[in-house]
Amino acid sequence: MIQIRGLRKNLNDKWVLDGLDLDIHEGMSLVIMGPSGTGKSVLLKHIVGLFDPDEGELLVEGMSVPKANGRQIREIRSQISYVFQNAALFDSLTAGQNIQLGLTPDECRKYDAHLDPRVIEAVEHVNLDSDVLRLLPAELSGGMQKRVAIARAIVGRQKYILYDEPTTGLDPVNANVINRLIARLQGEIGATSVIVTHDVESAFYLGDRIVLMFDGRVQAQGTPTELRESPDPIVQEFLHPKLT
Amino acid sequence: MARESNLTAGEGRLGSERPPVAWVRRIGRAGLAVTRHIGRAGVLFGATMLALLHPRDHVRETFRQAKAIGIDSLPLVLLVATLSGSILAQQSGYQFTDLPLWIVGNAVAAGMLTELAPLLSAIIMAGRVGAGIGAELGTMKVTDQLDALRTLGRDPVGELIMPRVVAGAIMMIPIVILANIAGIWSGWITGMAMLDMSTHDYVYGVRNYYHSAALIFSLVKGVFFGITITFIGCYVGLQAEGGAAGVGRTARNTVVAIIVALMVLDVVLAPLYKAVG
Ligand SMILES: Nc1ncnc2c1ncn2[C@@H]1O[C@H](COP(=O)(O)OP(=O)(O)O)[C@@H](O)[C@H]1O
Ligand SMILES: [Mg+2]
Repeated sequence: MIQIRGLRKNLNDKWVLDGLDLDIHEGMSLVIMGPSGTGKSVLLKHIVGLFDPDEGELLVEGMSVPKANGRQIREIRSQISYVFQNAALFDSLTAGQNIQLGLTPDECRKYDAHLDPRVIEAVEHVNLDSDVLRLLPAELSGGMQKRVAIARAIVGRQKYILYDEPTTGLDPVNANVINRLIARLQGEIGATSVIVTHDVESAFYLGDRIVLMFDGRVQAQGTPTELRESPDPIVQEFLHPKLT
Repeated sequence: MARESNLTAGEGRLGSERPPVAWVRRIGRAGLAVTRHIGRAGVLFGATMLALLHPRDHVRETFRQAKAIGIDSLPLVLLVATLSGSILAQQSGYQFTDLPLWIVGNAVAAGMLTELAPLLSAIIMAGRVGAGIGAELGTMKVTDQLDALRTLGRDPVGELIMPRVVAGAIMMIPIVILANIAGIWSGWITGMAMLDMSTHDYVYGVRNYYHSAALIFSLVKGVFFGITITFIGCYVGLQAEGGAAGVGRTARNTVVAIIVALMVLDVVLAPLYKAVG
């Protein structure tokens, strides 16, 4: 379980996170929605300790992330994988070597990245042919890079998977492929997923629970039905934007 | 944070201040920035040294970097060393007309070993290797690859910085040796062709100057320079921000920072030579 209490973070003289409370329970798929620049990515980065909060507490499985020492932060990170918005594959490594980095250094030493059974299983999970393993990221399309990044995130069987805007920048067909993939992996792997998106349709398709972030805080949260029926005007404006 | 915002708040008033005040303010601000960078770089250097305690995981990457550094810089280093040996031979031949011609060998060996071989090689490597490292790590920073590495439980200092710094330090030894050989060889060819000097004169001159402390000093300097080039490349790369334009700025800043650091280091190391030589 991930517990977040009163999280505040100031970046460039602006409170990007401003008293955020959130619980992420095991086995669920939680979608975080919100307009661009509300601090969704900054929130995910706090969960894996890439940012230190100015105030507040953040616990992963009962361990405090802000107070963690080097060993503890490695322990926390070993339970969480992170799919970055722009895939963040290492350009000098092949797809297979990228995916293998999701395993521990000891596990990596056992096999060549292109023959590692766990890497091959992961790449099949994301519907890619194992020929792709020997290609460099520059030789892959945007949608394929995303899928390799997802394979890297699932290969180590971490308990939590954080997806930062997994479909942003993809065409509708590829976006659908990724959404279906995330939903299927959720069932097959049983990991806890946290999915950031500003796409309302993806949110309702993927989320067991949806959180709407606004101005660095949780504006509303609930099941998709609860959110749809919320009387909050900000929620309704976000779900049904008017073009006038 | 508060201190920084005070300083930027002062910027608006710069125009209305009399010049000396504005200059003092500007120099003060630059001084603070330099101090802050030196502090941060010191912390990073400490972390790099700590990463040396676990060399086993990074042997392969270190070899890869060493190969890249050698291939990147050697042709240009040898060309420039050859030209500088030739320049030294001509200048010493023309200027010391009252002295015997073997002085040419002495001057070439002295110039190459103490200054030109390590310093010119290092300046070339600042442009090729240092800027390359700055741009590479800068790109990794702005495309979240460094954060990705951290979330994958890897340490960017051990994975990226330590292998580059070690490779830079090691590769400078053969590079400086080859630069010395190229310069001294071309000094000989030049002297023979243009100064009517004999091989015997030249060899006598070189041996007259040569002592092993000079070669060791040349190599020690090279190793210091190799560490400086690769480490500053890494440090400046890690500061990159703001997309492709930011990476371009980073590559330029890397070269400037490295060349300034090399010259300062050269001045600092000169007395060392006097002490051992
Ligand atoms: N590393 C950083 N340094 C300074 N400001 C940042 C940094 N990362 C994000 N911000 C700022 O924080 C705010 C929220 O960013 P982000 O979390 O990326 O928004 P989004 O909700 O679209 O993911 C933005 O105003 C952004 O400029
Ligand atoms: Mg974002």
